[in-house]
Amino acid sequence: MKAILEKMLNRRRFLQATGATGAVAGVAGMGKLAGFTAAAGSAGVTSTASAATFADARMTKNICHQCPARCGINVYTHNGRVTSIYGDPGNPIANGKLCPKGHLGTYFLYDPDRFKGPMRRTNPQKGRNEDPGWEPISWDEAYDEIARRINELRENGEAHKIAHFYGRGWGPSDAGLYGAFGQLVGTPNSAIGHASMCAEGSKRAKAATDGNNSYNAYDYKNANYLLTFGASFLEAFRPYNYLMQVWGHMRSKSPRTQVTAIDVRMNPTMAAADRYLMVKPGTDGALALAIAHVMLTEGLWDREFVGDFGDGGNRFRAGQTVSPHLFNEKWTRGLVEWWNAELKDRTPEWAEGITSIPAGDIVKTAREFGTTRPAMAIFERGPTSHTNGVYNGMAIHALNALSGSMFAEGGLFYQMGPSYGSGPADADDYMDDIARDMAGKHPRIDMAGTERWPFAGTMMQETARNHNAGDPYKLKMAMFYTTNPIWTAPDAPEWEKMMSEIFVVDTSPYPGETAKFADLILPESTYLERLQDSPTYPFEGWPMTALRVPAVEKLYDTTEFGNMMIEIGKRINGPTGDYYRQIDSVENLLRHLARGFEDDPGDNGVDSYESWVEKGVWYKKPYHWKQHRGVFLEWDGQGYNREMSEEEVGEKLLRTQSGKFEFKSSHLEEKADYITQHLAVERDRVGFPQWVAPEHTGGNRDLYFVTPKTPMTAEGRSGNIPHAIALQQPSVGGNDRTYVEMHPSTARERGIRDGDRVRITADLGTIEGYVRYMPQSRPDTIVLPYEHGHWAQGRWAEAQERSVAPGNPNEITANVSDPISGLAAYYTGKVDVERV
Amino acid sequence: MAKWGMVIDLDKCTGCQACTTACGMENDTLPGENWQDVLFYTEGEYPSGQMKWLPRPCMQCEDPSCVHVCPTRATYKDPDAGGIVFIDWDKCIGCKYCMIACPYGVRFFADEAPLVEPDLKEIFPGSGGQLWDPPGQSPDQDRKRGIGVQPKGVVSKCTFCYHRVSKAPEGVPDLDEDDPELVDYVPACVRTCPPKARFFGDLDNPESNVNKLIANKNGIRLKDHTGNRPQVCYLGAGAGIPAFQPKS
Repeated sequence: MKAILEKMLNRRRFLQATGATGAVAGVAGMGKLAGFTAAAGSAGVTSTASAATFADARMTKNICHQCPARCGINVYTHNGRVTSIYGDPGNPIANGKLCPKGHLGTYFLYDPDRFKGPMRRTNPQKGRNEDPGWEPISWDEAYDEIARRINELRENGEAHKIAHFYGRGWGPSDAGLYGAFGQLVGTPNSAIGHASMCAEGSKRAKAATDGNNSYNAYDYKNANYLLTFGASFLEAFRPYNYLMQVWGHMRSKSPRTQVTAIDVRMNPTMAAADRYLMVKPGTDGALALAIAHVMLTEGLWDREFVGDFGDGGNRFRAGQTVSPHLFNEKWTRGLVEWWNAELKDRTPEWAEGITSIPAGDIVKTAREFGTTRPAMAIFERGPTSHTNGVYNGMAIHALNALSGSMFAEGGLFYQMGPSYGSGPADADDYMDDIARDMAGKHPRIDMAGTERWPFAGTMMQETARNHNAGDPYKLKMAMFYTTNPIWTAPDAPEWEKMMSEIFVVDTSPYPGETAKFADLILPESTYLERLQDSPTYPFEGWPMTALRVPAVEKLYDTTEFGNMMIEIGKRINGPTGDYYRQIDSVENLLRHLARGFEDDPGDNGVDSYESWVEKGVWYKKPYHWKQHRGVFLEWDGQGYNREMSEEEVGEKLLRTQSGKFEFKSSHLEEKADYITQHLAVERDRVGFPQWVAPEHTGGNRDLYFVTPKTPMTAEGRSGNIPHAIALQQPSVGGNDRTYVEMHPSTARERGIRDGDRVRITADLGTIEGYVRYMPQSRPDTIVLPYEHGHWAQGRWAEAQERSVAPGNPNEITANVSDPISGLAAYYTGKVDVERV
Repeated sequence: MAKWGMVIDLDKCTGCQACTTACGMENDTLPGENWQDVLFYTEGEYPSGQMKWLPRPCMQCEDPSCVHVCPTRATYKDPDAGGIVFIDWDKCIGCKYCMIACPYGVRFFADEAPLVEPDLKEIFPGSGGQLWDPPGQSPDQDRKRGIGVQPKGVVSKCTFCYHRVSKAPEGVPDLDEDDPELVDYVPACVRTCPPKARFFGDLDNPESNVNKLIANKNGIRLKDHTGNRPQVCYLGAGAGIPAFQPKS
């Protein structure tokens, strides 16, 4: 054990060393930074820090990479090896703690299957069973080849056929570099993000109601009631580590926070809640509407936020309309119209028929939720990963308006961005004729934001289908960063076809299905070897940004993704190359960003690049706004002392057309024709949170098929981490693979015994797996946690039949999306199961 | 000398297994060699089924069954080391008698076919008599106390992270990970526990927080009828191990 003084000394020595290292810098606009900046590193050269720097026991700051949460970690090294990882006590998300994934980072670093350096494919044939025939090349060769292809496509007027795909973007120094790249190169496809295969539905539900196209920040510590809809609060919701910390607080404070969990399967959140309601998949919205119905008929809405009847009476009676002029709304819009058009008929008895939840339980839940303050309704991918996802989400989020928890203590709000300085250069100053000519000329390959998907910001899952159909065009080259849609996308095999036809660059440190189809491998350094910034995901609202600092020298010939972008950029003809020479390096970019801290030092004293490296995080409390008993207040430096006008609230917080929380969404009404065309909703009703039955794929098949994340699902990579495999699905003994959880009666009807190998059949085909009886499951729903079924991810992922039993559920998941959000309806397919 | 004890509040525990992985990385254990495991149980049927879990370290019993049965006196309880039960790997012959005798199932024999293939012991083969050479091996090694990576053919178990705990300042009533002066001395499972369901302190000190928690929340010891008197105490609902039910 190191004494604290010794640690500080070592840290200082490390700082000196990193100062001497010419690493990488790059900044690009995520969140509040709209532009992009870049960083470059010494291309083709690994870290220049001397080995002696890393010789002793040391601790460095980093951010975990195994989920989006961005927990700060202290990485301990002895003799240049990482020996342990603990949560950083100085990081407001981690608070010294970690989730089960975080500790396993050592094995991500020392994974023996990692790529050792850049490589070129020699076998022109691509396929699952084709050996790519990798031949090592230098970084210069790799960059030159990519740049040659880009320059050629640009000159031929085909810049739009260059695409970037990314999954986990961390900040300006990696995914933030895309914006300027697309602008300068002249492609609308830099970059296509994965949000439409993740949780985009909840963002769109919020955009439709409170005007913020964003995930929420939450004040859990002060909440007294939580209704969680399909959020996997104690398994996969982010930031998982912090949620568990706050769970310990909520469940032992006075008064104890009550929790009702709603999900389609048994899981730790359901088990730990005070009440669980196991709904039929895709029907969460019906349940939320019935809760809202009870809150209105029983007079349990928050009058200070929502408003009240002029005479103080309550005219909400089941089945009866109300005259809108009798109700004076305050911070909401359309309550009575919503009631008349939808809510008056959404009784608990009605909802029982849709959801299978007894009406009595719905009433009890509504009364608790309606009579407890502060009370929050949270949701994520579960309810929204259906064709009716946005309407489900709107119905749930409407409960937060009815309970008055929007922007309130113990409620939910939105995330502020960090005080970054501007980047080293502005892309607007480096546009050439090609870039200007291509701007706005072609739609994105995924057609997001076009009339095909007018509400969607990104539609990654449409890419392969569109490419294969040549509509709107065919891509020529694609570069992938922290994403693997050839395995994760619905109807994943479509991607194999596309990727066989185009020039593919993968940047993962590890083998994977994308790499199997790649033409070039540019291996990124693992997170413990990286310099990289990361503004927080929505957390508690106040701004925060953390930093990854290399804990050890790079094990192999790898570099930061940001460096790759910058080095490729430097090789683009014309002013684009000049732009990237200005960006220079990731480190240069980060140093520019950190200048913003000089004028706005963080609460932990971080006011420079150097102090950021030392502390690992910059943050500044408090959140600037608060709604208290129907009054919106702004922080004036001392307290929440300044009352905001309606205009200010509309501009800063409730960013809808009306500046109110809209029960009648102007956002949706703007494109009413589109919604009427794609969902069975009448034109004058499109704005209301409402029940729309989900459209399940699978025809007459009778079993719902859900594929949740477990606490061990680590950004798609725990399938090759032996310790994670052993802990993947402990509830049914899943210590060597994941199993298909099935109610015994459902299984026995099909002659399936506990442990049998089964075949799961959907519209798109079949996969196999092993069954475990789970009497706590819904008899109409089978559960297969998604992690295994990887056919090219490494030695552990593929051993012991883990690559085939279970197979990859995404191969039989139809590519169907919510027409509004564009979120892929992963959980909406119905299947058959039979014994093999 | 303190008598070290652990308190686990099951009303706060979320069953996440961070204790398991923190322990595994701190002590360089193999997959399935979970010195600190979390056991899951299910009972009942939809729509009223239950799922429960029980985090389970070595109980460091005051009267440990394992010590009674060990034919070579390799496993021993050390009152001068907080009452922790250790294994002397130089004496252990790997007979596994202790594993059978332990009422809590917290002893492990990893020198066998792996739970997860390929075998980490083959990917990272051992040197210097070690069973294997973990890629990020911790620096602490003490074969007399079963700390570090074991040699071939011996039993291993939780040591309450003695290599950390033993360096704590003399006389502290509790090792609380939220105290910056003490965080490095806290056992890995306690240090990382996100909902703070775990507490570690001196059971001989009536002023310690662990004793207060046990008193206020009526802490219980598992399988008390065995007379083993664990130094691990559980709080909250569900503190028990359901009877074994063979699968039909």
